[in-house]
Amino acid sequence: MDFIGNNTRTGCVLPKEMDGDMIRQWAQKALSSICLAAAACSVGAHPETARAATDQLGREVRIPAQVRRIVSLAPSITEILFALGAGHRVKGVTRFSNFPPEAETLPKVGSYVHLDLEKIVALRPDLCIAVKDGNPKDVIDRLDHLGIPVYAVDPRNLQAVKDTILEIGALLDVMPDARRLVGEMDRRIRRITSKTAGVTHRPTVFFQIGISPIVSAGTDTFIHELITLSGGINLAQGPVPYPRFSREQILALSPEVFIITSMARGAIFERIRSEWRRWPQIPAVKKDRIHLIDSDLVDRASPRLVEGLEILARLIHPTLFRAAP
Amino acid sequence: MIAPRASLPRRILFVTLFFGAALCIAGVFGLSLGSSEGAFSEMLRAVMGQETADPMIGAIIWKIRLPRVLMAALVGGTLALGGLVFQALLRNPLAEPYILGISGGSAIGAIIGILMGLSRFPGVSLFAFLGSLSTLAVILLMASGKGMLKKDALLLSGVMINAFCGAVIMFLVSMTQDARLHNIIFWLMGDLSLIGLPQVGILAILLLPCFVLLFYLSHTMNLLLLGKEMAQTMGVNIVAATLTLLGVTSFTVSITVSHCGLLGFVGLVMPHLLRLALGADHRVLVPACLFGGGTYMILCDLLARSLPDQGEIPVGVITAMIGAPVFIFLLIQSKK
Repeated sequence: MDFIGNNTRTGCVLPKEMDGDMIRQWAQKALSSICLAAAACSVGAHPETARAATDQLGREVRIPAQVRRIVSLAPSITEILFALGAGHRVKGVTRFSNFPPEAETLPKVGSYVHLDLEKIVALRPDLCIAVKDGNPKDVIDRLDHLGIPVYAVDPRNLQAVKDTILEIGALLDVMPDARRLVGEMDRRIRRITSKTAGVTHRPTVFFQIGISPIVSAGTDTFIHELITLSGGINLAQGPVPYPRFSREQILALSPEVFIITSMARGAIFERIRSEWRRWPQIPAVKKDRIHLIDSDLVDRASPRLVEGLEILARLIHPTLFRAAP
Repeated sequence: MIAPRASLPRRILFVTLFFGAALCIAGVFGLSLGSSEGAFSEMLRAVMGQETADPMIGAIIWKIRLPRVLMAALVGGTLALGGLVFQALLRNPLAEPYILGISGGSAIGAIIGILMGLSRFPGVSLFAFLGSLSTLAVILLMASGKGMLKKDALLLSGVMINAFCGAVIMFLVSMTQDARLHNIIFWLMGDLSLIGLPQVGILAILLLPCFVLLFYLSHTMNLLLLGKEMAQTMGVNIVAATLTLLGVTSFTVSITVSHCGLLGFVGLVMPHLLRLALGADHRVLVPACLFGGGTYMILCDLLARSLPDQGEIPVGVITAMIGAPVFIFLLIQSKK
């Protein structure tokens, strides 16, 4: 009776003959069950089959041996994943993931600057791919804490986009597809640059991405790189990534080509064009060189940047590419 | 609603239990519902502590929703109490931390902290508190004619400070070039989506003593409402009481602003509604606002994260969309 009474008070059986080893074993057992409980609470990768990778921000990420459920945290990542033929593994995307069309039907986890943590977790991803610019760091940290591996990328130029495609290809075990994709991009880029590298006249380009205020793109942007590769001069080059301009400044810059992105879609483009036409002093207006381009082709770190380059080159040097399809 | 003849301790107890229960029920709903699909009954079972086969449900409920629900309760209580204090001090139902510029001041401080790349706590919180204190100091300087606070001057200078703060916020936001801009805009609209449990713990430790202090000062608020002379004859040190109340309130408000952004109209609507229902005794109103404001905020946050299909909207949008019309309605009713 006495023995039982003791038990109810202490809540566990502790026979007198128990030695230090046994206590240690018990402690280990208790500890491992706590660890198991903690592991059960986390919903991400299984550590025993994971491999370590370092992402572009220098973070250590544990990637599961087989990545089956990916949540893409930016439209550019979605495009890369589909271009690599891994679209069937993408289980969630962000708003404005509009390319390829299949991506539009996938579950949305908020916009890339305002992610819905709960929706991401509910999709049970074994890997999330994030972008440094835009995705809030808080969300990435929270996903980390929840045991969901997040691989962050930060491509800032064409070369970095190609490297990123290869890295993601390695993560998903689709290296041959990644190499093929990058090779094709290289070939198309060379076809443009081989013609534009030696041009004697480089037209000045004003690239308008915002209507009011008038915003253009500085040196550290894809837009600047594409204009330069197309054989043009970006009038907005400089340290400010997205500088603002007044109408007066643009008159003074007198660009030879205006390129307006489709952020200003359809009818708005026509309105902007007719507004610029009130200033025939500007060479671009005099020669009617005001063009529209799909913004997704020039500001997303995706393989389609090459398509943007081809269109830009044709707009900036129409005579050079007249024969090209 | 509550028999006016009941004794004061019983009324306080009744109100506390009633609104405490409402808070708990709202909390259970807040944990059981959300943006992810999942059967409500299954979620409810998990919330009630039953084992779930799926660890994902547990993670969503306890690691994502629980911090939000707790934070909403704290923030809602803080803002409702803040509104209550300012309405008592100014004897004006329009008064609120926002109208007085206290929230704007802390937002400026917090934005500067964010742009400097400081961590949310203590860096940004400290800047927010400094911001709210400096606006408070300016308000007091402007409003203190002969060393005494005049209520109309206080309100008017608050409105002016608020306009100035709005301009400074827009200046800072438009000067920002990087991607943090997006986050600042969402944060400005009020956002509870990124709260973690450690943050909730820190806030609870900082806020709970302030709540107790405000309850302790609730009778003083009653006396202040009777007017300057009356309060003085009843033995209230008006300047000390006013400064303490303003200081504590701006502290609590700036702490919540630095974590959750600007959440409007909670401090305006809840105290006013509860005063209509319960009468003007602050010893009853302080616990009622604390729990009632928390309940209101949990429900608003629930709406914010479950209404839209393509990702949630900032909870500040919900509180303003509900709060402003309700307040206008109340104002028209009181004019009749």
